[in-house]
Amino acid sequence: MAIDGLIILEPSGRPIIQTNFRTTSPVYPLLHIDAFNDALAKSPNGQLDPVIYISGHQGPSACCHTECGDLKLLCPVSGDIDPLYVFAFLSTFVDVLSDYLGEVSTSSIREHFDVVYQLLEEMLDDGHPLTTERNALSDIVLPPSLLNKILSVTGVSGLSKASATPFSSPIPWRKAGVRYNNNEIYFDVVEDLRAIVNKSGTVLSSNAWGRIESNSRLSGTPDLVLSFLNPTVLQDCSFHSCVRLQRWIRDKSLSFVPPDGRFVLMEYRHGPSSSTTLDSTRQLTIPFALSPSITIQEHGGSFDLSVTSRISSKPIEQLVVELYLGEGATSANCLASGGASWGFDPKTLTLRWELSKITQGSTNTLRGTFTSSASPARPSRAFRITFDIPQHSFSGVKVDKLKVAGENFKVFKGVRGRSTGDIEWRW
Amino acid sequence: MSSINLSAFTENASRLGARIQETLSERTRDLALTRSVASSYFDVPEDKVKNVRKQLDSSSDREKLDGIKTLIALISKGRDVSEFFPDVVKNVASQNLEIRKLVYIYLLRYAESEPDLALLSINSFQKDLTDSNPLIRAMALRVLSGIKVPLIGNIVVLAIKKCAADVSPYVRKAAALAMIKCYNMDPSHLSSLIPILSGLLKDKSPLAIGSVALAFQAICPTRLDLLHQNYRRLCRMLVDADEWGQVDLLDLLARYARTMLPKPERIDDMDQDMKLLLECAEPSFMSRNPSVVLAVTRLFHYLAPPSERHKYVDPLLRLLPRSKEIERIVLSYLVVLSHDSPSLFAPLHARFYVRATNIYSTKRDKIRILLNLATAENYQPLTREFMAYADDSDDRFVSDAIHALGRCARLVPQSMPDCVIALMSCISKNSSDAALSASVVVLKSLIQSKLPSRNSVASSTISPSHGTLEVIAKLAGKIEQIKHPSARACVLWLVGQYASSDGIQSNGIPGIVEWAPDVLRRTVKTFSSEAPIVKLQVITLATKLHLLAGEHDILSRLIRYTFSLARYDLNYDVRDRARMLGSLLTGIFPTAVNGSSERSGDAIGTEGVGGVVLRREQVMLVLFEGKQGVVETESWSDEHNLLGSLETVLGRSMGLDSARRLPDWLEEGTEPSLRDNEDDEINVSPFTPAAVRSMTAPGHFSNMTPVVLTPRTASPLGPAANQPGKGGWEDLDAFYGSESAESGSDEDDDDSEGEEDSEVEPNDSERREGIGEDGGDLDDNGYHLQEVDPGQ
Repeated sequence: MAIDGLIILEPSGRPIIQTNFRTTSPVYPLLHIDAFNDALAKSPNGQLDPVIYISGHQGPSACCHTECGDLKLLCPVSGDIDPLYVFAFLSTFVDVLSDYLGEVSTSSIREHFDVVYQLLEEMLDDGHPLTTERNALSDIVLPPSLLNKILSVTGVSGLSKASATPFSSPIPWRKAGVRYNNNEIYFDVVEDLRAIVNKSGTVLSSNAWGRIESNSRLSGTPDLVLSFLNPTVLQDCSFHSCVRLQRWIRDKSLSFVPPDGRFVLMEYRHGPSSSTTLDSTRQLTIPFALSPSITIQEHGGSFDLSVTSRISSKPIEQLVVELYLGEGATSANCLASGGASWGFDPKTLTLRWELSKITQGSTNTLRGTFTSSASPARPSRAFRITFDIPQHSFSGVKVDKLKVAGENFKVFKGVRGRSTGDIEWRW
Repeated sequence: MSSINLSAFTENASRLGARIQETLSERTRDLALTRSVASSYFDVPEDKVKNVRKQLDSSSDREKLDGIKTLIALISKGRDVSEFFPDVVKNVASQNLEIRKLVYIYLLRYAESEPDLALLSINSFQKDLTDSNPLIRAMALRVLSGIKVPLIGNIVVLAIKKCAADVSPYVRKAAALAMIKCYNMDPSHLSSLIPILSGLLKDKSPLAIGSVALAFQAICPTRLDLLHQNYRRLCRMLVDADEWGQVDLLDLLARYARTMLPKPERIDDMDQDMKLLLECAEPSFMSRNPSVVLAVTRLFHYLAPPSERHKYVDPLLRLLPRSKEIERIVLSYLVVLSHDSPSLFAPLHARFYVRATNIYSTKRDKIRILLNLATAENYQPLTREFMAYADDSDDRFVSDAIHALGRCARLVPQSMPDCVIALMSCISKNSSDAALSASVVVLKSLIQSKLPSRNSVASSTISPSHGTLEVIAKLAGKIEQIKHPSARACVLWLVGQYASSDGIQSNGIPGIVEWAPDVLRRTVKTFSSEAPIVKLQVITLATKLHLLAGEHDILSRLIRYTFSLARYDLNYDVRDRARMLGSLLTGIFPTAVNGSSERSGDAIGTEGVGGVVLRREQVMLVLFEGKQGVVETESWSDEHNLLGSLETVLGRSMGLDSARRLPDWLEEGTEPSLRDNEDDEINVSPFTPAAVRSMTAPGHFSNMTPVVLTPRTASPLGPAANQPGKGGWEDLDAFYGSESAESGSDEDDDDSEGEEDSEVEPNDSERREGIGEDGGDLDDNGYHLQEVDPGQ
């Protein structure tokens, strides 16, 4: 069970990074790059199966791919490997890359290609994941920084060496000898509401997917216990490997020695419990209401949408309503109320209506028409609506307290909530 | 005096200042230069490539780094730079770690094509194996084993042996991985690798153990007997291993358990070792890594008693919103699971509803899952969903959704009326071509399966509101809107098959329903432009009508016209079918069909020609009862249904006998005493990461003191005599239970909580944090800030 190698393609479809391949044939990676570009060109509106079957003269293989910014990451595999393993590795790799480079893009990869190669070398040994913990990696591959650059230019090479004692920490996810003047730890509770609303406005399925993103800046080896006031709202939890699972099973508090820097502490679901899924009254409430009316004609159609907020305490920000206008859509012409903006993207054939902020009581409308070369026009059967609500939580989970043991210093903790949503609204 | 000194000092100072400025500006120029270079390694001009050799020979590390970076960038662009091999190899022992790493990357790429030169570097790697830095030792081994030159096989084996005994688990991990490379390069080293591997299996470090499991699977997957002594310890180490290690270890342990342990039938009389494995694996359901969750799911699905299967439902479903790639893969496994145990997933069907933005393979698999989950209780929301999907903008998916309605009607008989209404509404409303034709095809097969014989037409209906004939009549009326050839053919076939008006009042031609001849008239008009499949059905319809209605002036003429069109068609299938049907009818209507053909001299049709002539009843049988079996459009394939296999995801064979398939259970498991190991008795609780324990306060070491239970002598007397042994294990379990509870509480309570209770500051317990609540201090970033006092 091994990954054959990893290729990073720039938007033009040319490779910029290619690992060594386990197979000896130099054609193999090229075959995959060509097959991928070919499939991408043929796929309607860029929707491509994440696993592509490739028949080569050396036997069948498959290309697992994902995207990251404007780049495409390809993982060719031959032999029977679990694609989930491949995608889990790819997402870990992307996380590490963004940790090292900030924004992952063609230009940042080009600029730091040597770092990317070094990372790949440490993370993937002959197709098997090797070191993927970020704290351990930063000991052996230096993150690019201006300081390192200056040091290397001035020729002080001794200083720019990676830690002299890599792997000295007994805890795989935390590096040894961390020191901060101010000891602080931040918790971002981010919840993402995924729901489907049917034509009559009834919620068919709804779940809020939460994650607690932490940024730990604590010295030494602190042993923390984080407890919640209402842990029962959290279901189907999963944890960073630093969390002591037995303790969570016992009293629903998180006991852990955190990694240094950013990490995702836990993930959870909040929503109707398994037994009550069928009961529509137990679904989560959608924080806004959309009333769409669409008329389809021979070569196009007209529509009239209005959106109102349903929550009183906070404004909904960055509400974006999208509708795919279907194959052959050519243009749209709309009138948006209240300074909202709209646009039609001829490449994705999608109409996009953006509302930067809506509050309760205000009604926002979008009226307009669109044209299409298809007859009759076939727009998508549903709107996709995404939004942000800062300082809000669907689950209402509350952090009770944080206890610190093992170190003798004052710790500042910060807790912040944020909610996003991705709703399908059928019409 | 002081003034002189002062002036000298100022002079010196200003000179120094100027000097510093000079150097600085030089450096910054350098800096600016290098920065622009960094991004332009990719666009190096040709002359610079030639310069690389000189750079690599230079004494300055910066020059060398620049040179090797240029080469790596060229490799990235797909250029062959093996000509620089000798120059690069020289730098293999560079003191600069960064240069060395890049040299390694280069070496691994070209070593195979330049084996002789690669051998030059071997010495330096062998020296590195004794370096004090574990990183360098591991790197040296990785490169050494990565140079695929069979000549050095023995050196690599020796290096592996040395590293397998290294103090650093990181190096031991590299040794395990190097074994795979060594074995793949030359399998003849197996005999020397196995002792190293069995040594590594005893490794106490959770960091290395996953790679050891991986090496085991790659090198000697059949030597499961080597695991006996380590099995229980490996189970307990599972939770501490890194996430990739957990996947490999779980796969190995699952194979071991399948081969060596008795199959568990019920939860209460499970083998103790099986129980241990499941208990140790269960916490990994809470891993953030999707492939770990799947590995545990595989274990529970293929090994645990069915009553334990519910445990994987929630963890698997939680993976779905992760990313569209993960959703796609997990869904293809859920198709398998929901087929095997639908009752587990049925209450959660709403989690599988399709979103318009899903990619096609995700949509397809969701429909398959929903169908697997369809029951008499939940068919109504499901059929409503399928109806909604019929409006999708992807034609493939529309057709899938409509076929799903048909499948649903067949799987859940109660849903038949709803499904037929839904299908009919697809036909009557302004649906897309895809929806229309799929509905027709599905309705046809539904009618066919419900009404196998035409004799039952009058008595049977497929839905209370829609009699079968009404459905067909409606379809017949739509014949001009139905464009898709196979759908048109279906309608024509239906009309012919059910055109008999037995027992029904008919205003038209006696013997057939009144709308049937009109369908023939309308399709004959466009006969020449129809697809062959439609033409075939037009002739068949004509024949059937003729048979049912007998001689009828207008109808006979219409039929004769049809046959003469068919006889001279361009398609030979159509011509052949016309001849065949024509001769079928000769016995009954000697002139009806072939009357016009007499002049053409067609030998078969003319009167007086010998051969078998069928009677009317026989012809009826041939024409109407010929197509008995209903073809299931989609049937469950047993072929690609393995969890965690690429074949399942792609739905096609990868041409290999899958190594992911687990072996079959043995009749009886092996002797549990084989797995007894005295080292095991000294134990730590399975749920406390060992690493963390050692980092907590010294007080904890009291827990670490080895607890030696009275050693049990392994019983050679067979299962009966083994009972006390099992009893012993139960005691041990109880002991772990109490120990883990104890150690768990010790960990946080012993040294912190006791004091904490008294030391907690009042505001600590009272200031509770609510997200988004207006109390508390908000900093600039919107964090609620709070000061936490240390517990000690």
